[in-house]
Amino acid sequence: MRLHKDTDGTMLLLVPEGILRLNDTAAETLALVDGERSVDAIVDALGARYAVPRAELGRDVEDLIERLTLRGYLTS
Amino acid sequence: MTAPRPNSLLCELTYRCNLQCPYCYNPLDLQSYRQELTTAEWKRVLDEAVGMGVVQAGFSGGEPTLRDDLPELIAHASKAGLYTNLITQGTFLDDAKLDALLGAGLDHIQISIQAPTEELADRIAGTHVHAKKEDAIDRVARRDVALTLNCVLHRGNHDQIGEVIAFAERHGITKLELANVQFYGWAYRNRAGLLPTRAQVEHALEVVAEARERLAGKMRIAYVLPDYFGGRPKPCMNGWGQAFLTVTPDGRVLPCPAAAGIKTLTFDRVQDRPLGEIWESSDAFVAYRGTAWMPEPCRSCDRKEIDWGGCRCQAFLLTSDAGKTDPTCELSPEHETVIAALGVESDTPLVPRRMKSLV
Repeated sequence: MRLHKDTDGTMLLLVPEGILRLNDTAAETLALVDGERSVDAIVDALGARYAVPRAELGRDVEDLIERLTLRGYLTS
Repeated sequence: MTAPRPNSLLCELTYRCNLQCPYCYNPLDLQSYRQELTTAEWKRVLDEAVGMGVVQAGFSGGEPTLRDDLPELIAHASKAGLYTNLITQGTFLDDAKLDALLGAGLDHIQISIQAPTEELADRIAGTHVHAKKEDAIDRVARRDVALTLNCVLHRGNHDQIGEVIAFAERHGITKLELANVQFYGWAYRNRAGLLPTRAQVEHALEVVAEARERLAGKMRIAYVLPDYFGGRPKPCMNGWGQAFLTVTPDGRVLPCPAAAGIKTLTFDRVQDRPLGEIWESSDAFVAYRGTAWMPEPCRSCDRKEIDWGGCRCQAFLLTSDAGKTDPTCELSPEHETVIAALGVESDTPLVPRRMKSLV
């Protein structure tokens, strides 16, 4: 998969023969996924930017990663 | 009407192929496509597509790896920011070729098999290739590239669907596409011998449902229903001239890979006009874009912007008028012609896809 900035500024997730339009938070989360950072580290990095309770951020990030993993776009 | 922005380009680099699958959707007059675009012309097509907003590029054919410039074209597409997909039958994917393709930045490879076992697969392909494909699948699976396994289903292999899934499991496949044959080109010519029976389709649906549950999280399985059994038509290409364009080996620009079969349309060539202009205002793209062309029952249908009247190529093949409702729709007045075809099973030998003057 590949992140791609569209002409209107939206981030797209390009996957085999498919295109997913990302909302801002999903795009920011995925920009932090580099194969090195742990989920915890990703949540920490987002926590530093947003005034959202850590538990809530953690749930959102895990939910996003789980959905993309189920679709085969991410591997653990 | 202003044209929507396209997002996907399919480059059919060549119609040459060493296989003779009777279900190929390529046109019957393969020899009229022998004058292929040059490397420079393909690069210009890719650049123009990027300028139009395209983000996905597919490289297909024929067999695209028969073009020696494939790695060069993929590198060009990849550098321009396109996500690159290679649709191949896999018989030429040796390590050197794979190194070149992955070095060029290829993102995704789809390899097709004809059947799960060598004897049947080679009979369908008309040549001994299954063992080579199996080897290619394993070699690609070990690399850092997305891999989809594809098997086109028809009456002659539909009952092996469970074995196709087992084959995919054995080879560690995470994405499997079980695509029922679509009746265009050679496949339409061979329709009577290829059309699966209703019992086969029902059996397949059960097998797929069981496998999806058992393999959840390990393998995703797409099973594409045959059009003729669907009740409502597929939203072909997500609408004519809405998101997708194909360029044929000789430079014709089509709204759908099967559109050359519509003999009432002429298709402009990338050698003669800029791609963007062809997309926006050529006669063929304008003809069935949007909903204004639609007859009843499409015109007043609440699904007209969901399935876009179905498939124009199919309407042409089955009714000689590409401007009619796709007859696979149960609401089409021509639906009877489709139902009639379902009753036709014949033992007429399948006509193998041949290049005639080319190979």
